[in-house]
Amino acid sequence: MKVFFAVTFGILVLLSVAAWKIKPKSDTGGKIPLVWVSDDNPTRREQIALFNRLHPGYQLRLDPGNTGMEKVIVQSLAGVGPDLFDCYDAYSLAAYVRSGVAWDITDQLAKAGIDVRRDVWPAVLPLITRDGRVYGYPTNAAVNAIWINQDLFDRAGMPYPTGSWTWQDFLPIAKRLTLRDERGRIKQFGLFCDWYNWPQFVMQWGGRIYTPDGTRCVLDSPQAVEGIQFLHDLMYKYHVMPSPVEEATIATQGGWGSGTISFFAGGKGAMALGGRWWLCSMRSYERLRLGVVECPYGRIRVFRGYGRATLINGNSPRRHEALEFLRYEAGKDYNALINHQADALSPAIRYCYTPEFLHDAEYPQEDFNAVWRDVMKYSEPEDISPFVNGQAAARILNKQLDLVKSDQKPVAAALRDAARQVNEEIGKTLDRDPSLRARYRKLSGKGRPE
Amino acid sequence: MRTRRYELLAAIGFLLPNFAGFVVFTAGPVLFSLAVSFSNWNLQRTIPFQWIRLGNFIELMHDPNFWLYFVNTAYLMLGMPVAIAGSLFLAILLSQRLRGIVVYRTLFYLPTFTSGVALMILWKALYNPDFGPVNAAVNWAISTFHISDLVRALGGTGVTAPTWLLATKNVLGLDVEQVRMVRGQWGLGARDALIIMGVWIGIGGSNMLLYLAGLSNIPEELTEAAQLDGASNWNIFRHVTWPQLAPTTFFIIVMSFIGGLQGGFEQARVMTLGGPAGTTTTIAYYIYTKAFEEFQIGYASALSWILFSIIFVITIINWRIGHRELSY
Repeated sequence: MKVFFAVTFGILVLLSVAAWKIKPKSDTGGKIPLVWVSDDNPTRREQIALFNRLHPGYQLRLDPGNTGMEKVIVQSLAGVGPDLFDCYDAYSLAAYVRSGVAWDITDQLAKAGIDVRRDVWPAVLPLITRDGRVYGYPTNAAVNAIWINQDLFDRAGMPYPTGSWTWQDFLPIAKRLTLRDERGRIKQFGLFCDWYNWPQFVMQWGGRIYTPDGTRCVLDSPQAVEGIQFLHDLMYKYHVMPSPVEEATIATQGGWGSGTISFFAGGKGAMALGGRWWLCSMRSYERLRLGVVECPYGRIRVFRGYGRATLINGNSPRRHEALEFLRYEAGKDYNALINHQADALSPAIRYCYTPEFLHDAEYPQEDFNAVWRDVMKYSEPEDISPFVNGQAAARILNKQLDLVKSDQKPVAAALRDAARQVNEEIGKTLDRDPSLRARYRKLSGKGRPE
Repeated sequence: MRTRRYELLAAIGFLLPNFAGFVVFTAGPVLFSLAVSFSNWNLQRTIPFQWIRLGNFIELMHDPNFWLYFVNTAYLMLGMPVAIAGSLFLAILLSQRLRGIVVYRTLFYLPTFTSGVALMILWKALYNPDFGPVNAAVNWAISTFHISDLVRALGGTGVTAPTWLLATKNVLGLDVEQVRMVRGQWGLGARDALIIMGVWIGIGGSNMLLYLAGLSNIPEELTEAAQLDGASNWNIFRHVTWPQLAPTTFFIIVMSFIGGLQGGFEQARVMTLGGPAGTTTTIAYYIYTKAFEEFQIGYASALSWILFSIIFVITIINWRIGHRELSY
């Protein structure tokens, strides 16, 4: 028994040593390795290749398998996080900052001569700035406009819409372009609009999700109700936009470039609310003749601005080296590439005001680029509250809006319940977080929302 | 004496690696989570760590979502008896002496080999309300047998195919926002879709194998004696096979309860993201969202321990009842 135990132990030790010896080492050829957690958009590879070409001392690698705020935070806190990661909204930035993962690079960017408040589109500033400090640089900037399938307009003998217009102007056009088959089923929709665009309808009717200081959810205001009611009516009253059931027929497995985009590009809809980044996917539809017009508005000519940003992991041992990537994102080469790839708009405003942006020699048929930057001027970021966890608020809002979307609950009742529950969640957050509690009291003079 | 000591040392030597692994990777985290459940530990550093005693557990009892998701979890277990009965039926079929029976056994066991995520993606396509094969069959049945006209004649409003993963309706008419039944929610929806899928996966799985093993262990003389006494096939099953399979059934029921109470995470993550309107969010998925999306690790740990307690109590009850039934 003794011999058997000793031999087994010896073999295990030898195997361990052997495994340690033959463990593959990451061969970066003396270069500084950087890992960027981002989505697997095909354009990302080219952006990385350009960085590696311009910076021979670095080896940047994409890690699309660990996207998602929860993964980034947990991995970074455990010491195995990426060097760079994407941030999609102000809520996520708040979570990254509060968990100590996002690195405050205000001073570093200032030293590099980068002034984000001067250089980038205001709509994406909430993705990188918090309490006056800067935590990243935008990867791109986006706003939605109305994509037009010109063939379907031509077939209906209708002129393409132009310029600034309201949803009331839009409705008769969308109705004429909604076609049914002999069984009465809609075979062509007037509009495709992903439900997650609901905040834009709230904004356009003069409503807000939160008060400007974020101390209270006010989604139950008459303006917000009216905006969401119109979005609901596009499906159930005017029947120009697919309901969830109709939408399910188009939905694939989600992910980048699927669903509504492929359905619109496949000729199932005459118009679609979407961003310039849709082109990354739609350019592969060779016969598709596209136009773009500003999105209609309700009472206020305002559009939801959004985008992505790159943050640096404050726990990364290579965080100083990772700054080079942000400098690259602020530079001409990267911004020109973003505009050329149509990965939305370049984050730096000035690169959208070049002749190359307006007329890309490789895509001469895309004569609508001026629309994007013009609409961007009217864009505003979505409301957020610093006093509630974004995921918790989203869980509440999505539940109520799911019921509206599936026509199971009146809009006013759903938004009233949503606002009440979010305010309760704010109260719970304040109970947990003394620093937020003090800040809340300073702003509102109260201990919690009423 | 000396030999015994050497043997003891050798035994400890062999057990130590496994025991150390168990302590570090299983027992340690479990005890750690118990301790954490009495704290407000949050991954957001602005919230200072505090021991809050039973604070999480008290909050949990007043959390309406916990009760809603507990009901969802229990509802998804409604398919359990059907899955168990199906496994038994299949095992009886596959225990027949037929040529090529091994092939049949393999075919029925195939879903267990296949990745759960792949199966779920497949079922998601099957449930597509417009072009999914499930609704194609339902629509065919509705039109062929004039079911809609029949329902209208009976004073109803006609019948349409369910929208499955998009619908909040369910067989019991459970409300979406409160733990109660309402007439408007009666129908078929996402929860029922997950139950049907679960039954399909469960029938040909490891339960079938356990029953097959149980059936092969029944002494042939018992069956032969019953046959000699003129017992019908049904009576042989009822009075010989079923009692002999009682220990297997007991084990399967206990394991199914444990699995059912812990389940629903994969389905929610892959197929529904817990929706529509939270109707497919189970306790397991809620623990995940609390811990890794809202970063309330303390609260999520308390939820986990409540779930453990529920499983423990139900297992004890099962054990008591099962033990009484098994004492023949």
